[in-house]
Amino acid sequence: MNLIRKLLRSHLSIAQLTGFFVANLTGMVIVLLCVQVYADLRPLFGGEDGLMRNNYLIVTKKVSTLGMLSGRNSLFSPEELEEIRRQPFIKKAGVFDASRFKVAAGIAFQNIGFSTEMFFESVPDEYLDVQSPEWHFTPGGKTIPIILPRNYLDLYNFGFAQARNLPKMSEGVISLMRLDIRLSGEGRQGEFTGKIVGFSNRLNTILVPDDFIKWANQTYASHTKPASSRIILETNLSGDAEAERFLKANGYETDQEKLEAGKAVGMLNRITFVTGAVGMVICVLSVYILMLSIYLLLQKNSTKLENLLLIGYSVSQVSSPYRLLTWTLNMTVLLLSVAAVLYLRSLYIPWLTESWPDFKPVSVSGMLLTAAGLCLTVSLLNGFVIGCKIRKLS
Amino acid sequence: MESIELRQVTPDAFGGRELSGSEVWQTERTFGRGEVCLVEAVSGAGKSSLCGYLYGYRKDYRGTIAFDGKDIRKWGRGEWRECRNNRLSMLFQDLRLFPELTASENIKLKNRLTHYKSKEWIRTAFERVGIADKWESPAGKLSFGQQQRVALIRALCQPFDFILLDEPVSHLDAANSRVVGELLSEEVRQRGAGLILTSIGLHPLLKYDKTLRL
Repeated sequence: MNLIRKLLRSHLSIAQLTGFFVANLTGMVIVLLCVQVYADLRPLFGGEDGLMRNNYLIVTKKVSTLGMLSGRNSLFSPEELEEIRRQPFIKKAGVFDASRFKVAAGIAFQNIGFSTEMFFESVPDEYLDVQSPEWHFTPGGKTIPIILPRNYLDLYNFGFAQARNLPKMSEGVISLMRLDIRLSGEGRQGEFTGKIVGFSNRLNTILVPDDFIKWANQTYASHTKPASSRIILETNLSGDAEAERFLKANGYETDQEKLEAGKAVGMLNRITFVTGAVGMVICVLSVYILMLSIYLLLQKNSTKLENLLLIGYSVSQVSSPYRLLTWTLNMTVLLLSVAAVLYLRSLYIPWLTESWPDFKPVSVSGMLLTAAGLCLTVSLLNGFVIGCKIRKLS
Repeated sequence: MESIELRQVTPDAFGGRELSGSEVWQTERTFGRGEVCLVEAVSGAGKSSLCGYLYGYRKDYRGTIAFDGKDIRKWGRGEWRECRNNRLSMLFQDLRLFPELTASENIKLKNRLTHYKSKEWIRTAFERVGIADKWESPAGKLSFGQQQRVALIRALCQPFDFILLDEPVSHLDAANSRVVGELLSEEVRQRGAGLILTSIGLHPLLKYDKTLRL
């Protein structure tokens, strides 16, 4: 093959190939970095409490002075619920069911004992972000599983315990604690044991299973069911802006921070997409440069190629030096760009780990696959065009 | 391959006009294996066209050309490659050497495909036709007469049933023509091959079995 290579090497433009090389390397690094950054950041937004996968909003009505005077204004009527469910950006909507009886909970733990009146709420299980095998209640049972908002625990650990020099408590310790719970209403009373089975990031209330609330309300409360004052929505990711407009227009209030987080996810999506697209465009243009360069090379060598074919060489024999050239270039770009991305990643990973302690690096296989896929596509395309051009000569 | 047949072949360039006196165009003509044939022509009679048609790189003709009865117009790339490597050799009028390769590399480029001749044979051939000192010279630096001899040796570095020669010794003196003629007829006789030589005017290179007017 040496002679053929020697023959076809003339007219090779180092400047053009360098241009391709630099441009393609830049494009590949941008695309691959986008893929990797996106893969690394996604779990931060899309874990169990997935803002990425699911976007939950808890919606209430504004509590106004006028509303206070008129009474039922802060409740959602069935018609209003129906209207909310009809919105295209709402995947589903569930209502909070609240206890309509008296709840008193007591606790005794390390010489601190206190008792307080409280309330329970429930939502359908599909809206929960905590999974626990103990999350069930059968009428007649004496144990009530409870989910607390995670910020209660934070409030205790970082506020109360710190100030009062009390031990901090982990989730494990708390799950060992038992609450004494006394329910009363409609002339009936019941003693129960409360067990904290988890902490929710999503739901800012004291949660018990839906089945329990239904049973307890029947047992300890009057049977008229009032409309709900809080609802939980699952929205489409892209529907954030629309959801915000809709909620504002109807005078509903929501956890603003979640909407902001939703927007941040949207921004992350858009930025990675746009940057990735720019990288793709650079890649495509660089491949175009390579194609033009090779086309020119083939054109300049066309007499030689024709003569080689006439003295009995096959198209694949004649095109092999060009294929080898493009494969070598593309493989070098592949290796260098992957190395560059891995290096850049090693720079930002420590920063991410510092900023989000529970950040766990994901694998780089997605990025590697993208790289290999791009490289393969470009090389095969090159080979195809070279083959076409040479076949035209014979 | 035993025969090359031309059936009512006319180059497109002649249009529909009647050709009078051609013993190749617009007639039935068969070249058999083992025949040494001179096709003599005046300029513009379609000499190079005939070679282009027979070697398969031109198709601008009407009529049928068949090798062993098979219409070559229908051949694909693979069939032509096989034919050009094993059954049909050609010495082009414009030689089609690679000027940036040395004389010997030009030969090797062909012989590497066919492995038909030994390096010794090639060296001896260079000596016989008087270009032994040009072994390492770039082909582009040789005179046309020297290049013609390199191209001829290249044409012999493959098995063939027929060899086409388009003005093979136009730039050679009488002594060199004689040597080239000897080498050529030896090789053709050895293989029992057919030879078709096209030339402007009479050509005293070989003993011809047949002389045709184009």
